[in-house]
Amino acid sequence: MKNNILKKILQLILNILMLAFSITCIFPLVWMLYSSLKTKQEFALNIISLPKVLHFDNYLAAIKVGKMHLFFGNSIFNSVVSVVFIIVIGFVVAYFLSRYKFKGRNLIYVLFLFGMLVPIHSLLIPIFIQFKVVGLLDQRYTLLLPYVAFGLPMAIFLFESFIKSTPVEIEEAAYLDGGSTGTIIFRIIFPICRPVLSTTLILSFLNSWNEFPFALILLRKQSLKTIPIGLSNFNGQYTVNYPQLMAAMVIAVLPVIVLYLLFSKRIIEGMTAGSVKG
Amino acid sequence: MASKTLRPKGRVIAAYLAPGLLVYCFIVIVPLIISLIYSLYDYSGGANMKFIGLKNYSYLIKDMDFWNSFKNNLVIIFLSMIGQVGVALVITAAMISKSLKFKAMHRNIIFLPVVVSAIVVGFLWTIIYNKDFGFLNYLLKSVGLGSLIVPWLDNPKYVMISVSIPIIWQYIGFYLVIFLAAVQGISKDIYESADIDGAIGIKRSIYITIPLLSDTLKIAVMLCIAGNMKIFDHIFVMTGGGPGTSSMVMSQYAYINSFVMFKLGYGSAISIGILVLSLALILTSRKLWGGNKDEE
Repeated sequence: MKNNILKKILQLILNILMLAFSITCIFPLVWMLYSSLKTKQEFALNIISLPKVLHFDNYLAAIKVGKMHLFFGNSIFNSVVSVVFIIVIGFVVAYFLSRYKFKGRNLIYVLFLFGMLVPIHSLLIPIFIQFKVVGLLDQRYTLLLPYVAFGLPMAIFLFESFIKSTPVEIEEAAYLDGGSTGTIIFRIIFPICRPVLSTTLILSFLNSWNEFPFALILLRKQSLKTIPIGLSNFNGQYTVNYPQLMAAMVIAVLPVIVLYLLFSKRIIEGMTAGSVKG
Repeated sequence: MASKTLRPKGRVIAAYLAPGLLVYCFIVIVPLIISLIYSLYDYSGGANMKFIGLKNYSYLIKDMDFWNSFKNNLVIIFLSMIGQVGVALVITAAMISKSLKFKAMHRNIIFLPVVVSAIVVGFLWTIIYNKDFGFLNYLLKSVGLGSLIVPWLDNPKYVMISVSIPIIWQYIGFYLVIFLAAVQGISKDIYESADIDGAIGIKRSIYITIPLLSDTLKIAVMLCIAGNMKIFDHIFVMTGGGPGTSSMVMSQYAYINSFVMFKLGYGSAISIGILVLSLALILTSRKLWGGNKDEE
């Protein structure tokens, strides 16, 4: 009897502790969300209270003054286009790496493996110099190059291990039916890769969406800047208006949170697989 | 590997691989060579470039600010090892307990900050740490601990801890899901026989789960080192390396030298320094862990 009660109490404590921990993980984000709906005065008066009326002016200001819609559009462009390239190129490279032996195969494999190991920040400055010399700074496509290149290793390793596990017989049958290499790759193998495709797609999108240092140094034109950069400008100009800053921050995380709510399982699985592989 | 008949001609393979390899080499391999070259010059971005041999490197070796930022990277790695890997292990142990309810909810909530942009996390915690508008001070005051309040991000003494906490907070979930995936891989039989032998609760975690996790633990430690060697966004937003250079990390130092002081030649040398130190640290940790593997 006594043991049972003790067990129940321990169980309760464990659950309470975990609940407290989860709250610490999510409360800052929740606080940001509801504070963004308060007026500046309301926030200054009591930073923790819920908003009395939902006040969307901060969002209007974030768009009008902070130009968040512009940065939002740029981020969407960079993320979507780089994801398309990462998927197509990554898939093709992974297909050949996993299916055929050819001269230089191992070298290519090691080259991409190296990309997972090399600290990206040690390449920031040389890439800036290189882009400056070649005249690639401040273009609409400037950020696509590093985003695609740094997204490739993960995509290649995710695709490669998946393709390895699919039977070769399907391709052989297609080949006997007279299918060309292109048809086999894109019409037959690509659709089979759907599970790993969606994982790669979401993870690459998140990486490009959240990327900061390259956007910081490779772009000067206001009209090309992405969300994280826009956010840091926003802060510099309007430091005092916290609810307004938080509205801009909510705009920045909104797509990410929506993706997470829809695909949390895929995202978690993908990140685990990608990291353990590397 | 597919059969010979299926294999396209070498030329076809090359054509398919070319775009990827070109982009990749242009962004990853060429810059490495460029930084090696430019690190030998005195270059500020203009037309003037003066060859100065290894001077940048001899300066780098004696540059206390650089070594101080390296030390700060090590501090963040150390704190993260405890705060991320350590705490994630504890939570993993709690998560495999039968008594815990709402496991999936806990996992999803704890992982959520991982996907949020580091810039937003940096700003959010800057506000949390704010003297008047942050809820950290509000919280401390409301539980009667107002005397503990310090200028979190402005005091060189505490700033490293203050900047590490958001980093730790953000990525605990990442290590948690890695450990949880590994735990799911441990066969049920092992736990059943452990139950018969009377290893339950915490005992089960210590004697069974954690030893079986050792491979995953190695990966986690390596990821923790690699991840924190390249930490930048959080620091950039929260302190910019300050006050003074007290929270400077290597990438922030390279950034300031190259884009605030326009010493791009020296910045290139710092980049090479970062590369060498990071790879050395990652490979050393791999070697150390690898040594254990032989004994097993």
